[in-house]
Amino acid sequence: MPRKKKCVAMLLAGGQGSRLGILTRHTAKPAIPFGGKYRIIDFPLSNCSNSGIDVVGVLTQWQPLELNAYIGSGSPWDLDLSSGGVYVLPPYMKAGAGEWYSGTANAIYQNLAFIEQFNPDYVLILSGDHIYKMDYADMLAHHIEKEAAVTIAVRQVPWEECSRFGIMNTDAQGNIIEFEEKPANPKSNNASMGVYVFTWQKLRDLLISDEQNPDSDNDFGKNIIPTMLADGERLTAYSFNGYWKDVGTIESLWDANMDLLQTPVPIDLHDRSWRIYARNIGMPPHYIAPSGEVSGSLVTEGCVIKGSVKGSVLSAGVQVEEDAQVIDSVIMPSARIAKGAKVIRSIIAEDAVIESGCQVGEEEGDITLIGNNTVLKAGTVVPAGQQVSKEGSTT
Amino acid sequence: MKRDIVGLIYTGERIDQLRDLTRIRSVAALPVLGRYRMIDFILSSMIHSEIHNIGIIMQKNYHSLMDHLGSGREWDLHGKRNGMTILPPYMSRDNVGVYEGLLDALRSNIGFLRRSKERYIAVTDSHILFSVQYEKMLAHHLENGADITLLYTKDRSARRNGAGRYLEVDAQGTVHQIECDPSIPRYENTYMSAFLVRRELLIDLVDRAVSAGYHHFTRELLTHILRDKSYKVCGFECPGSVWVMDSVESYFKANMDFLVAENRARIFNPDKPVWTKLRDEMPTHYMDGADVSNSLIADGCIIQGRVENSILFRGVQIKPGASVKNCIVMQDAIIQRNVELAYAILDKQVTVRENTRMMGPAGYPLVVPKALTI
Repeated sequence: MPRKKKCVAMLLAGGQGSRLGILTRHTAKPAIPFGGKYRIIDFPLSNCSNSGIDVVGVLTQWQPLELNAYIGSGSPWDLDLSSGGVYVLPPYMKAGAGEWYSGTANAIYQNLAFIEQFNPDYVLILSGDHIYKMDYADMLAHHIEKEAAVTIAVRQVPWEECSRFGIMNTDAQGNIIEFEEKPANPKSNNASMGVYVFTWQKLRDLLISDEQNPDSDNDFGKNIIPTMLADGERLTAYSFNGYWKDVGTIESLWDANMDLLQTPVPIDLHDRSWRIYARNIGMPPHYIAPSGEVSGSLVTEGCVIKGSVKGSVLSAGVQVEEDAQVIDSVIMPSARIAKGAKVIRSIIAEDAVIESGCQVGEEEGDITLIGNNTVLKAGTVVPAGQQVSKEGSTT
Repeated sequence: MKRDIVGLIYTGERIDQLRDLTRIRSVAALPVLGRYRMIDFILSSMIHSEIHNIGIIMQKNYHSLMDHLGSGREWDLHGKRNGMTILPPYMSRDNVGVYEGLLDALRSNIGFLRRSKERYIAVTDSHILFSVQYEKMLAHHLENGADITLLYTKDRSARRNGAGRYLEVDAQGTVHQIECDPSIPRYENTYMSAFLVRRELLIDLVDRAVSAGYHHFTRELLTHILRDKSYKVCGFECPGSVWVMDSVESYFKANMDFLVAENRARIFNPDKPVWTKLRDEMPTHYMDGADVSNSLIADGCIIQGRVENSILFRGVQIKPGASVKNCIVMQDAIIQRNVELAYAILDKQVTVRENTRMMGPAGYPLVVPKALTI
């Protein structure tokens, strides 16, 4: 029987992430490579580890194999513990029935028994969609101090972007008095980060009653939070001012990678006091050939650079051959850019091969995407905004 | 998969010619190739030969080696049935804890030899960087009906006048003679201080050699065995290049050899990764103004200056206007603005102040000891 935990984290990692197009056709969004040597899920898992939260349930559903293998025993994040650790939680059969996770709240509901094993006082709900460094312990302390039923992390966003977010309107004490989903005329610019701390007994009761409501979508934003507001529960906002970036679209994924190249960098990954951990791939240091030219870029283990790389983020094992040019692009693990190929403002996914003389992307317009394991035949030209996968191309 | 070999790594070699590089660490813990220690390559060959039970004999200055190995997790050597056994020196009535040679170390750790269950044992030193398949060495050992099989190389770069051990090996692979520290080696086969033997036989040999008053495995015991022809000793050639780290110059050359793709391909096989302790560094950041050519660069560096024909370990910073040519720069060094470095080996955590010029003679690099500011 597991020992009691003060706080258990539940990481929602089951969504398809369909706005990432062909990138998430065969893999779950949290397993998408980011920043040269990370995957998106490294951020919430490292945040948990650094915050001292040592039980993390990862709820998986869509294309989970790569994600499961990546998480493994949890050792990269120090989450392989006798008294806790990381648990991968796919939907499972129960007493004569079994069903997919139908919403974010339903996913937690289906794992009530998992959470109860630890008899926690609080549950932290996270998603695998964002790049950020956050001390969840500080948020938990805020929650306890405010004696709230739920604390919702909020971040100020530009007013013109409010219509993309769930907006929390608060009173002078920081209590949430109104929640507006994607408002056209926002009253405040405090966006919900999708990071919640619930007092477990409250959440447990809410999940059970929400499940009995046939009209509910079993979703935190649409159902659970509005119900709590209507019931007069205490909801508090926890303001977060650090870097926080959604990577749910091709454009934003590219943007967040490019943010790592800025000076000063908006999210410092050299920070030894808040390491972002990642699984080790066991490759030698990268090699820059006499013909290689690299500037304003991130390059990691196993890369061999014989061409020119500017303003780009290269993952492990990427090869850039002679006279190839990589400009303002994100190249994922083990992709190869052959001789004389030019890649500009693009994302090249894992193990893709851009054969010689190809021209991928353009200086202007939308980001171009070449999917996993795609081989682009020599001389192919792919215009801005196009997505090319093994199965074909789309715009 | 049958696991019939136990590994034993001796890290007690004293190599004075490595000067400051091994003053504070054993040669097994010597940093090489940007992110590794020598022992990583020894462990790698063993692990990829299905040797999963490995003893590591510690002698002096073994703190950095212990720190590097930790629980053995990075090498998957932290299991219940198999894994890594650290064998530090200890004192008892008949053991002062200081090994004059490998034989002393084997005697002190005879308990490890007895407790192991594998039929064969592969014993190696830690000052040579190589890659070998021990399962092939064992097959060769069995085919030849050998009692002891010695690993050797024909790589001429491993030869030294006045030092080393050289083997006379006949066409059948039988070893007849061993030369120790000849002024000019007669034989073309350099013994790599690694051998394979039946475990029970090694226990027996160690027991008897000790009663004869021997300390050194090769110079005394092996020489004696070959003279007596009491056992069948065979040689197994390690294919390809090997790199002997027995001086600052050979250490420098070995590292620089890995700027050549063919040498990297010899040691780094994508299917057989070389594991090492993690630092969880972010990728290296090439800022505007970085100018890097023919160099091997580990993660976590921030490069704003010029780097040529060099090896940078993890977390090195090269500030604007600095120039680093033909250098090995170990982890967390900071090379300030307008510094000019050539033919230098900077140990860990060295800081070089602005406008400093430091040029070693080609082929005889300067060594800057750990944590120094110059």
